[in-house]
Amino acid sequence: MIQLIGGEMLHWSDLSGTHGPAPLAAALAAPLLAGATGRTLLAGPHDPALLPPGAVVLVRGVADAEALDAEGRTVLCGSLEKLAAEPAYDTVLALDGLGRLCTPEAPDLDWAETLGLLLGVLKPGGRLLLGVPNEFGLDRLLALPAEPADTDWVTPGGPVTPADLHPPLAAAGFPVVREYAAYPGALLGAEVLADPGVRGFLGATLTAATPPGPRLADPGRLITGALRHGLAGQLAPGWVLLAGAIPAGPAAVLPTGAVRLDDGGWCQGDGSPIPAGRTLEDLVLAACGRRALPAVRELLTAWQESPAAGVPADRVVVDAAGACHGLAAPSTPVSALRSLAAALIGGGYAHLWPSPADEAELTALLAGMTGRELDPHAVPAAAPRPAAGSIRELLTERDRLERELADARAKHEFYERTIASRDAELKRVRQMNALLAATVPGKAATTVVDGLKAGRRAVRSVVRRTRG
Amino acid sequence: MHHANHYYGHSHVLARYCGLDDADPPRLHGYLQHGWNIGDGLAPDHEFVPGVPSFLWSERTRRRAWSLGRRQLYVTGAPFAYLLAMEPIDPAAPREGTIWYPFHGWEGQHVEGDHAALMAEIRATEPGPVTVCLYWQEYRTLRRRYERAGFRVICHGYRGGWWKDLDPGFLYRQLGELRRHARVASNRLCSAVFYGALAGCEPAVYGDPMHLRNETSAFGGQQRILREWAGLHGARVDPALARSIAVDELGADRLLSPPELRRLLGWPMPRSVADAELTGVLTR
Repeated sequence: MIQLIGGEMLHWSDLSGTHGPAPLAAALAAPLLAGATGRTLLAGPHDPALLPPGAVVLVRGVADAEALDAEGRTVLCGSLEKLAAEPAYDTVLALDGLGRLCTPEAPDLDWAETLGLLLGVLKPGGRLLLGVPNEFGLDRLLALPAEPADTDWVTPGGPVTPADLHPPLAAAGFPVVREYAAYPGALLGAEVLADPGVRGFLGATLTAATPPGPRLADPGRLITGALRHGLAGQLAPGWVLLAGAIPAGPAAVLPTGAVRLDDGGWCQGDGSPIPAGRTLEDLVLAACGRRALPAVRELLTAWQESPAAGVPADRVVVDAAGACHGLAAPSTPVSALRSLAAALIGGGYAHLWPSPADEAELTALLAGMTGRELDPHAVPAAAPRPAAGSIRELLTERDRLERELADARAKHEFYERTIASRDAELKRVRQMNALLAATVPGKAATTVVDGLKAGRRAVRSVVRRTRG
Repeated sequence: MHHANHYYGHSHVLARYCGLDDADPPRLHGYLQHGWNIGDGLAPDHEFVPGVPSFLWSERTRRRAWSLGRRQLYVTGAPFAYLLAMEPIDPAAPREGTIWYPFHGWEGQHVEGDHAALMAEIRATEPGPVTVCLYWQEYRTLRRRYERAGFRVICHGYRGGWWKDLDPGFLYRQLGELRRHARVASNRLCSAVFYGALAGCEPAVYGDPMHLRNETSAFGGQQRILREWAGLHGARVDPALARSIAVDELGADRLLSPPELRRLLGWPMPRSVADAELTGVLTR
C-alpha cells in the first residue's frame, strides 16, 4: 500500500541508479538486521532484497514507491519532514544516510536537523542503524571534478568523523554500540581493521569491489596503503553506526556473510578461513620499492608454481609460510602475469627492467624471472580496459613512453654512427680484396685448389708490400 | 652493442649458459660489466647511449651506479660465476701452490714498479710452487725475468677488442689454472682475486701495488680499495670472509635463469624450445 505523505517526487527514482549510487547491498546489510526487532522503518533507498516483512518503507520517488509496493507492506512516499513526528518505531534503518530523505519541496534542513527528525520517530529504547558519508573518503579523494547533478539542489554538510556523532546520539538515548567502516563490498569493524594479518585479504577484497570509472589514481594502492597505515577506518567512503538497544553485530560483514573469529583466526560467513598475509602484488611492489629483484624472483616463482598461478597477483594472499591463497577464480598464468606487469608499470616500477618495458615485454621478462620461457609475441592481448583510466597511471604511461622514445632516438643515432663506421670498414676491406685479386698471387689464389693457403700468403705479401 | 661485451670471452660464456652457440654469441643488447671496479661497473671512458641497460655483477655496484646517475641497471652476476655454475669445482681435486697475478696495464698502458722486489717478496711469502700469470703485454716483456727467477709463467690469452682477437677460451683457461692452485694472490685487489676466491683458492693481496704511468685515482683509487676491502689485504686472509665477499662482488648468489637472461640480453630462444610460441609458456 502506497501512502503519499507529501513532498513526493513524481519523476524520480533513487533505486534505479540514475540519481546517485545504488544503496548498500542486501548481502552486506542483512547480517545487521538480527537486532532490528519490533516496528521497523526503512528511511531512504535500501536494497529491495533487504526489506524485512512488515517493515514500513519511506522513499521520496514515486517510481520507487511503486516498485516496492507489495502485499502487506506499507510504503510511505514523500519527504521526511512530512512524516508524523511521533515515536512510532522500535527500529529505524537509514543505511543510505540522510542525504536522500528530503525532497525539493522541503525547506533546507541541515544534517543535524534531519537527524533530529529521524530520531523523533524512534521510540525510547529503540534502535538506529545509520549510514554516514565521509567527505574525506578514499572515493572522494580520488574523484575527478564532476558537474553538479540533479540531486545537488542542496548539499547538506555532515559530521566530519563518526566520533562526532557519539555524544548527540548518546544524549538522545541511543548510544553507539558499533561502528563500521563502509566500503563497497565490506563493512569493517574496529577489531578486524586492527588485525594486520587480514589486511592483505581486505585490500584484495576492497579493491576488487571498487566500482570501475575514471579516477585520479588507481584505488588499489591507496586502499592497501590506508589499511597498512591504520587509516582504512578514517578514509572509508562512509560509515555505518549501530546505536541504541541493539546487539553489537558481527565484527565485519562481507558479501559471504558475517565475519567471525574461529579458533583464533577470522572466518567468512560461509565458513572458509580468511588467509592471513599480504597480497602478492603488494609484496612484489614493496620488493620493487626496495629494488630487491631477487625477492621479486622468489615471490614470482612461488606464485607460478602454486595452484594460484592463474589468479591475478592482487587477488592472491601469501601467508607466513609462503603459501599462495587465490581469492578469485584462476585465469591463465600468462594473463595473470600480464596484469601484474600492468600494475608494475602503473606503479612506476618499469624502470627496474631494461626498456622497452611495455606490458608484453615485461610479461615475458616476469615469466623469465620464474624460469619460464615466454615470447613477448605470444603474450595475449590485454583485457579491454575501462574507457578512461586513472590520471596518475596515464601520466606514468606517458612519461614512460616519452622516455622510451627519447631512448629509441638516442639508440637510433648510435646505430647510424655504427653503420657509418662499419660501412667505411667494409669499403676498406673490399678495396683490399680488389687489390688482392689483381695481384699475381691473388689470381693464383682463385685458381689453385688449395685456395685458402694461397690467399693467406697473398695477403701477407700485399701487407708486406704496402708496409714496404 | 659494445665491443667490451666480448672481452675475455664473457658473452661466449653467457651464450653457452643460455643454450646458444658459444662460438658466435649474438649481439648483446646492453653493456656487460667486464671487470671488478669501484665505480659504476663500466670502464671510466665508457660512452653510455641513453636507454641501453647495464648488466652489472653486484648489488653494491648497482647501488653505486644508481647514485652516480646511471639508470637501467640490472644485476646479472659475473660471467665467471656462470662459468663456475656450469663447470663446478670438485672439492676433492688436488690443489697445489699459488697462482700470482702481478698488477698489469691494459692495451696502451704501462705499469711502473720494481718487479725484482716483488719476486723476492713472493718467494719469501709463498710456501709452495708459484705460477705467475701475466697479461699478454707483460708476457712479451717480463716473461723471461720471472722464468729466470724460477717461476712458472703463463698467460690466459687476449682480452680482445673491437671484435678482433676475441678469445672465447680466456675464462676457461683462467678457471682451469685457478682450480689447480691452493692460493691466488696479487699486489692489487682485482677480478682475478675474486675469481680465485670463488673458485676455492685462499686469496691474498700483498706487495708493492705498483702504478700505471699517468694513473688517475677515479672513485678514490687504490687508497679507497684498501680502506673498503681491508679484510682481503695481507699475505693471509680469512678464506670464509673472502669467499663471502667474492660471492657478493661477483653476484654469485643471484645468477639468473637462462630464460630470464635471454630476455634481458635480447637473445633468441635456442632451437630446443622452438615450440614456445605455440604454447605461450613453457616450464624449463
